[in-house]
Amino acid sequence: MRARVESAIYTCGSVAAAAARPLVRRVNGTALAALDAALDSRLATDVVDRFAASALAERALSGALKGPLVEAVARDLVRYKVADRLLSEGLIEQTTARVLEGPELERVVEAALESPTVERLIQSTIESRLVDQAVLRLLESDDLWLLVEEIARSPAVTDAIASQSVGFADQVADGVRGRSRVADAWVETRARRLLRRAPAQPPGSEAQ
Amino acid sequence: MTLAADGRRGVAGPAVDAGAATAEAAPSGYVGIITRAIAFAADAAVIQFVAILVAGTGALILSVINPSDDSRTVLAVVAAGVYGLWLIGYFVLFWSATGQTPGNRLLEIRVCRARDGAPPSAGQAVVRFVGLILAAIPLFLGFLPILLDDRRRGMHDMLAGTVVLSAPR
Repeated sequence: MRARVESAIYTCGSVAAAAARPLVRRVNGTALAALDAALDSRLATDVVDRFAASALAERALSGALKGPLVEAVARDLVRYKVADRLLSEGLIEQTTARVLEGPELERVVEAALESPTVERLIQSTIESRLVDQAVLRLLESDDLWLLVEEIARSPAVTDAIASQSVGFADQVADGVRGRSRVADAWVETRARRLLRRAPAQPPGSEAQ
Repeated sequence: MTLAADGRRGVAGPAVDAGAATAEAAPSGYVGIITRAIAFAADAAVIQFVAILVAGTGALILSVINPSDDSRTVLAVVAAGVYGLWLIGYFVLFWSATGQTPGNRLLEIRVCRARDGAPPSAGQAVVRFVGLILAAIPLFLGFLPILLDDRRRGMHDMLAGTVVLSAPR
């Protein structure tokens, strides 16, 4: 008798569950749609903004950082090999490439370079004793002078110096030639006037 | 036919750019006295540099060997002869080979035969060199014709039948 009752109850329960399943599915769908709508709404954004700006969020974050959460997160990062996974999936490379290729980095660097803070920083660095000491050390290092000697001995540098010297000699020779030709004509003119001789024949008509 | 006009062997035609004020006294292509004097001075510098180098080396060697007085006299005569040969050889070889000594090359001028523009022969070069010395003896009066001649020839040029032309590279 008891077994029959239990079987009847089980059957009733199965039938009821089967009948209620579409209803439950519809309710679930409606609830999720309502949640999506709520999350997309302006109200949700305002709520999140207000919460983020509130002292409560600050206290919550402070408490979380003060507590064992940080250690737990670090342990889990190590335990689940988060870094290895990120590296193996190439996410780091992709992110780095995106940052380097994107215009954001350029804008950030430009803004940083134009900022008065960076200017002051560079100015103070240049004026600091650190730079003087670095230059002094550089000048005292034998490696630097070895490098300078190597560069000075390099064919490119010697060729450049040689061509410069030849160019300078050519310039001087050109100058001497030009002035000597002028002097030739000047001396001749004076000599001919002194001796009351006619001027020289113009070009093309001489010794025909 | 003029040498300035024929342009043979790279010899320049109208090469003198003396400016309008002096153009009346500048026959085209023929090189004047100042340019030639500078070229000659450059040649003299080369000649004497080599001579001093050789003479210095010889003197150093002799200071160690310490020859007798007779030997010194003979060596001095030989050295004078070598110097003379070097002096003549320098000009004769350069003039007859290319018409240009190093000094001429520096000033971009060339010694040519007046009749055809070719470099002078060895004989002409010797005559020109002798004429050069003869022109210098009477207080350099032998060079005066360069100032007055239409082809800017000195006495040595007239003797050797040569002219000096501008020869830009």
